[in-house]
Amino acid sequence: MDTPLLLAHFETHDEPVSLPRGGTLCWDDADFHRAAHTDDPEGYALLALTPGVRPWQRARVLLQVLAASQAGLDDATRATLASLTRVLALALPPAHVITVLLALRRLRANHKHTTRAILRFVLEHPDADALIAARRPALVDCFEHALGKATARGCARRVGEGDTGSDYLQRRLLRFLAAPEHALPRVRALYAAGHPGATAPPRAALTVDLLRERPATVTATNRGDIAATLVHLYRGGPAGDLNTALDRHLGDAVGHLPPFPGTVALVLDASASMRGYGDREWAVLSQAAALRLVLAELCERLEVVEVGGDERTPRGATDLATGVLDALATDPDLVAVVSDGYENLFPGDLARVTASLPRAGITTPVVFCHALFTGSDDLTLRRPAPALPERGFWHQDDFAELLPWMFGHCAAGEPWLRAALHTRLAALDRQAARIQTRSAA
Amino acid sequence: MSDLTALVPGPLSLAGHRLGTPQRAGALTMVPISGPAHPGIVAPRSGLKLARVPGYGQVELRNGADTGVAIVPLHIGYVQDAAQNHALCRSALLAAGQSLLFEDAACVQESQGGLLAGRDQWFFVLPLELRARALELRGVNGYSKLWTDIADLNTRYGLARRGHLEQILSRKRPVLTQFQSRLELQPGQLGALFFVGDRFAGLEIAPDPVYFAQMWTALVCFAYGVAAWQAEPAPADPEPYEATSLAGLRAALDADRATRLAEIADRLAALPTGPVEVREEDRYLDLRLSTVTGPHLAGQIVTEGERAVYASLFAPATATGTATGGTATA
Repeated sequence: MDTPLLLAHFETHDEPVSLPRGGTLCWDDADFHRAAHTDDPEGYALLALTPGVRPWQRARVLLQVLAASQAGLDDATRATLASLTRVLALALPPAHVITVLLALRRLRANHKHTTRAILRFVLEHPDADALIAARRPALVDCFEHALGKATARGCARRVGEGDTGSDYLQRRLLRFLAAPEHALPRVRALYAAGHPGATAPPRAALTVDLLRERPATVTATNRGDIAATLVHLYRGGPAGDLNTALDRHLGDAVGHLPPFPGTVALVLDASASMRGYGDREWAVLSQAAALRLVLAELCERLEVVEVGGDERTPRGATDLATGVLDALATDPDLVAVVSDGYENLFPGDLARVTASLPRAGITTPVVFCHALFTGSDDLTLRRPAPALPERGFWHQDDFAELLPWMFGHCAAGEPWLRAALHTRLAALDRQAARIQTRSAA
Repeated sequence: MSDLTALVPGPLSLAGHRLGTPQRAGALTMVPISGPAHPGIVAPRSGLKLARVPGYGQVELRNGADTGVAIVPLHIGYVQDAAQNHALCRSALLAAGQSLLFEDAACVQESQGGLLAGRDQWFFVLPLELRARALELRGVNGYSKLWTDIADLNTRYGLARRGHLEQILSRKRPVLTQFQSRLELQPGQLGALFFVGDRFAGLEIAPDPVYFAQMWTALVCFAYGVAAWQAEPAPADPEPYEATSLAGLRAALDADRATRLAEIADRLAALPTGPVEVREEDRYLDLRLSTVTGPHLAGQIVTEGERAVYASLFAPATATGTATGGTATA
């Protein structure tokens, strides 16, 4: 599985899956998803939870997971996929999920895990009543696809007659549900008269990506707690208090992340431009230093190659090419260049050196982490090596996307990514369970 | 790298000044200069203040420092909202607490006049393309004396034909100000040689690193950055080295860099030289302010005896607009 390629696709391609009336399913990147799923079903599915993945890509992962057979998968993988299905069914906008379920009908996918997912969404989603009122024909189609038309209607008839636990219902319907007592009235609602004008809730019941801090005016100190504390340290604030706070903020930032079992060589641009000037002084460098601290906590080994000056006394020019060669000499799993992109000592050398690595027999991945003042910086003149994988960051919140992207470029990152996403899935699944419990109460 | 003695005019000694490793940003090459500092000179941002603009073409500056003489940077200009922007055609020496009214200033933007408060002022140095003409017009009163040249410059750069330098300085400020980060000031740096493309553009020497640091933005972004912005080369595809190992790659990079440094050294060695006219314009104690004019070099210098204290010298041919389109060697 090509994790960087997959992540880049997941984060950028947000075209909807569509179902033209009477036409075939329009799923433009189906082969891409099928290939990734075949290669590593669990790893592929977990990637959907990476912060920054577009909603329609998450919907495609849900579609792929529910469309594919689970024959041959071990119990642990099946459990992971079941958990992911529960999470995505709540974390996606309901309209996206309904499109996925209707797509499964077009694909004639009727595995047991497919049936369970459809029935739980139609009958046990926290907003199921509103969804049935607004999207009744579509959900009837989904319900009848899940059970088979005759069985679905047979179940509905029995429920309408007051059956709440016959052997027929148990074997065909109830065994798929978590809270049948709340679900059965919804079976009746599916086949009752509609509610003209009812609208479906547009928002997802579960939030996957944390809401980001978006200050109206970006300053040197509203870019996350770690960087803000560092700015005050650089300005000469009280070291005792600030270092105590720094430890606390660092713990908060990395506490939920697994250790990275490898070596990262960080080429840290500590030139004069990274310090900045005026109101922006220390803003960019402090965030780069925050990333360094986070990596130092996570990585089994972190090698730092400072370019220009050093973190506390940034100065001089930027020689990123020599920095990368020095970094490669430490035999790392990954080289990460952190710079504002102003390469001026010998501009063009970073691009030329990194373009020369394959011929020199060096396969260590090199990524460029663009240190920005805000997410809208003009980078036209700040791309010293456009061929390198590149990602910008300006706020501590960006680390949630930056770290999986960085580690995903090297083999040592695969277990880190899997462990981090498993942790994330477990947390989200607990939230999903709480939402379902509240809804059933 | 070669010394500067061949370039500078007779009375200006740069003994002790050294050239550092060149930096490049697009078409602009900057060779840093370090050397002995001259203490006691008031820096332009911290000590020199624009006191008022009493009328069109009139600018009053004040040396607000308690001690030390201020050297008014050659071709400095001030921009502020709600007031007309002016640039000076000459340097000057201002004793501590002294004010000086420049009646030969050039208005570079038609606007309403008014008293200027200090908060939002920022200063620039006239773009290289205007410096030769501005130097010619020192001592000539007439607020509109640069408008035709500014309009020509705007036209040449595809902007509306108006005598408004603001069209370049303010509207292009986001791209121009990047030069202060694209090129990085070195510790202890008190001067620089500038090339636009492969042509010599200017030599700037400040009394000390603090003075030069305060001039950095105005010089790299506006004095030389404007011409460099117009000559920005298209990014080239990187050509891989032939190296087959990490050590080989490092050696190939080092060799390539040595070649490029040698090319810049050759460029320095090939700088045009020849006689120049040096005319003293102002003096304060042992400091002498002189104007330098010649076919290959023009500007103003401040000396103490034979020692260079300040220099702002530029290539007149480049300044009149023949520099654009140069390509910096990779």
